[in-house]
Amino acid sequence: MAKVNRARSTSPPDGGWGWMIVAGCFLVTICTRAVTRCISIFFVEFQTYFSQDYAQTAWIHSIVDCVTMLCAPLGSVVSNHFSCQVGIMLGGLLASTGLILGSFATSLKHLYLTLGVLTGLGFALCYSPAIAMVGKYFSRRKALAYGISLSGSGIGIFILAPVVQLLIEQFSWRGALLILGGFVLNLCVCGALMRPITLKEDQTTPEQNHVCRTRTQDLKRASSCSTWTKEWVQTCLCSSLQQEYSFLLMSDFVVLAISVLFMAYGCSPLFVYFVPYALSVGVTHQQAAFLMSILGVIDIIGNITFGWLTDRRCLKNYQYVCYLFAIGLDGLCYLCLPMLQSLPLLVPFACTFGYFDGAYVTLIPVVTAEIVGTTSLSSALGVVYFLHAVPYLVSPPIAGWLVDTTGSYTAAFLLCGFSMIFSSLLLGFARVVKKMKKTQLRLLAKESDPKMQLWTNGSVAYSVARELDQKDGESAL
Amino acid sequence: MTTKYSNLSLESHNLSVTAAPITSLPVQEEMRTKAAPITSLPVREEMTTKYSNLTLESHSISMTAMPMKENNKGNQICVDRGIMLQRNVTLERPNMPAEKNITLERPSNVELTCQFTPSGNLNSVNVTWKKGDKLLEDNYLVNATGSILYTQYRVAVINSKQMGSYSCFFGEKKQQRGTFNLKVPEINGKNKPLITYVGDSVVLICKCQDCLPLNWTWYTGNGSVQVPIGVPVNDKYVISGKHANETKLKITQLSEDDQGTYWCHAIFELGESEGHVELVVLSYLVPLKAFCAIAAEVVLLVAIILLFEKYTQKKKKPSDDGKEIEQGEQLKLDDSNGIENSGPRHRKNESVGQ
Repeated sequence: MAKVNRARSTSPPDGGWGWMIVAGCFLVTICTRAVTRCISIFFVEFQTYFSQDYAQTAWIHSIVDCVTMLCAPLGSVVSNHFSCQVGIMLGGLLASTGLILGSFATSLKHLYLTLGVLTGLGFALCYSPAIAMVGKYFSRRKALAYGISLSGSGIGIFILAPVVQLLIEQFSWRGALLILGGFVLNLCVCGALMRPITLKEDQTTPEQNHVCRTRTQDLKRASSCSTWTKEWVQTCLCSSLQQEYSFLLMSDFVVLAISVLFMAYGCSPLFVYFVPYALSVGVTHQQAAFLMSILGVIDIIGNITFGWLTDRRCLKNYQYVCYLFAIGLDGLCYLCLPMLQSLPLLVPFACTFGYFDGAYVTLIPVVTAEIVGTTSLSSALGVVYFLHAVPYLVSPPIAGWLVDTTGSYTAAFLLCGFSMIFSSLLLGFARVVKKMKKTQLRLLAKESDPKMQLWTNGSVAYSVARELDQKDGESAL
Repeated sequence: MTTKYSNLSLESHNLSVTAAPITSLPVQEEMRTKAAPITSLPVREEMTTKYSNLTLESHSISMTAMPMKENNKGNQICVDRGIMLQRNVTLERPNMPAEKNITLERPSNVELTCQFTPSGNLNSVNVTWKKGDKLLEDNYLVNATGSILYTQYRVAVINSKQMGSYSCFFGEKKQQRGTFNLKVPEINGKNKPLITYVGDSVVLICKCQDCLPLNWTWYTGNGSVQVPIGVPVNDKYVISGKHANETKLKITQLSEDDQGTYWCHAIFELGESEGHVELVVLSYLVPLKAFCAIAAEVVLLVAIILLFEKYTQKKKKPSDDGKEIEQGEQLKLDDSNGIENSGPRHRKNESVGQ
């Protein structure tokens, strides 16, 4: 029997207000990722003002990045339990407060707390809910929507870097931090844009929550003993959390999680060590800066074009394959890098690496949505970005240690390359195993009951095949 | 006087001025005797023996008054004779003054050499040296090798009196001139103004690249008047410096009066050099205005978006009732279809179960 849709549930609009969501997510990416990168422009000022060396000031950037990624699950929990709008607006207020308090700092420790922890927490509350929201509003053009939203990181850095430099020159770092705090307040605008949407798939969970709530209300009326209500609230919360994070037990998701660990380990050192490597092979400072700009611009192009490309009908069913292909190619580029010893060879490397770096970043949310579905997408994305945190923190120092001990960049780059290739192979292997299981099931279904085959136009064999297809449908969406 | 300067370094600087094809030797020798007062030699030798244990710096500038073709010939001649003058020969436009800046930090012996290739007769070239505008009488040599005329001037630079610009003049048809500017090292302050806020503290830095001044002093500039900053007066000003080649002035509790230009003077034995740093003191209201403008824009946009959302929701509600009624009818149809269809299906299942 068809259920009555009391709530205004729809299918993903694939347009209309969805484009406003994309614009909102684009602005969120600018305000979080680009501002994080631009904080490093303040380091020279902090060094002279607080008389500290580079290593001490560089901690601020590491703290912001780390806290943003580590608290990503917290962001998805808040936006699931309240609403996406509330979550992002709260995040915007927190981040802005962090920056404003940072402008009054009198020591580097104050900056660690305000600029590092508070701002990072604010960013964490905004980032994954915004990306999850885009997934809810798009299905047919999902990759393109993600490409446009995530390109905000590259475009934001492009625009913000000279603007921040100008602000520092005009107002010194204190005034610049204050104005940057005002800019980050625009996250509240993005939050307001995130109009909630209930999809057909979201039918069961609100009912369960409703059941929990009615039970607690009944108990409150029945007995004044607060401990009983607490227990019920806890169990309800536990059960809702259990349901939210049920995807953690899916084998597909576990494979994705492990591959993300290796992929994040591999991709982060390049942005730290590319310029020193280029300088060590004889490229001038200006040419090295030019290479980084190429990397950034091609990253943006890769974001948008790969998103558009994988939305085409021919590639729509192969988004997973495109994702692992992009990671694998990046790993191969890494392996070739130690052999590239001059500028004319490094430019094509920068183009290729930048393009596929943008490509797989666009596809992370798409592939996650494929595996877990749109209901748990917010929580799943929270977990995926949480898994980025530790490799991001750990990988550059390990690469630096390798460079120091071996005296060249070869070992570090080879390690990163193999890490990314392993991640890609793991995904490929998992997909192959899944296909083999599916064909086995099909064979089993056909062989199990020969009598049923007489009724192949009837329901039984049809229902078994349908089951398999449904599983496919869940995982392939 | 000369005994005191025995520990000075010797610096030698060359300027070469080239102009013309070869002239005959005897004439050159004549020139030599004419131009170089040999009587001055013994004095110079005395000076050199005193300063012989010092470092020698040599700088050279080449000047030429020759047109291209002849200069090429001149180069060929240089090569033939195996004289490594070729690298000193540079093509410049005639009458362009050749100038060289020499940075001196410590007292030293300076040797300035000018090379000149005249276009005409070596004899006709009149060689003179000047310091600033004052004509120098002694302490210089004139020598001629092949077609090139050399003149060398030596000076013991002990204090700031010997600093300045020294010029060698080759008087021919047009007077060729080469200048050596003896200067103390330059100090780098900051080109862009430093922005600070009221009540904040700031550190002004003056640096010198490769030099070690004896002492540093700070002055505040009030227009063209420079007022020295007295350190022991109060805690407001603290002068410090980790290395000898830099100085730091820390100013605390800034107020708008502290705005202006600050001068740092580096004192060398050979003189003084200065750099400047500009300080701008703003009040907190300046960035606060920009912040308030952005905050107001954010509040406005949020209000507009939320109101728009409420408006579209209200619009949807009355039309939604209509939609629900339609859906209800659709459901009834579906249900009736279901009942009809379930009949045959039911029968099929029964037969399967058997």
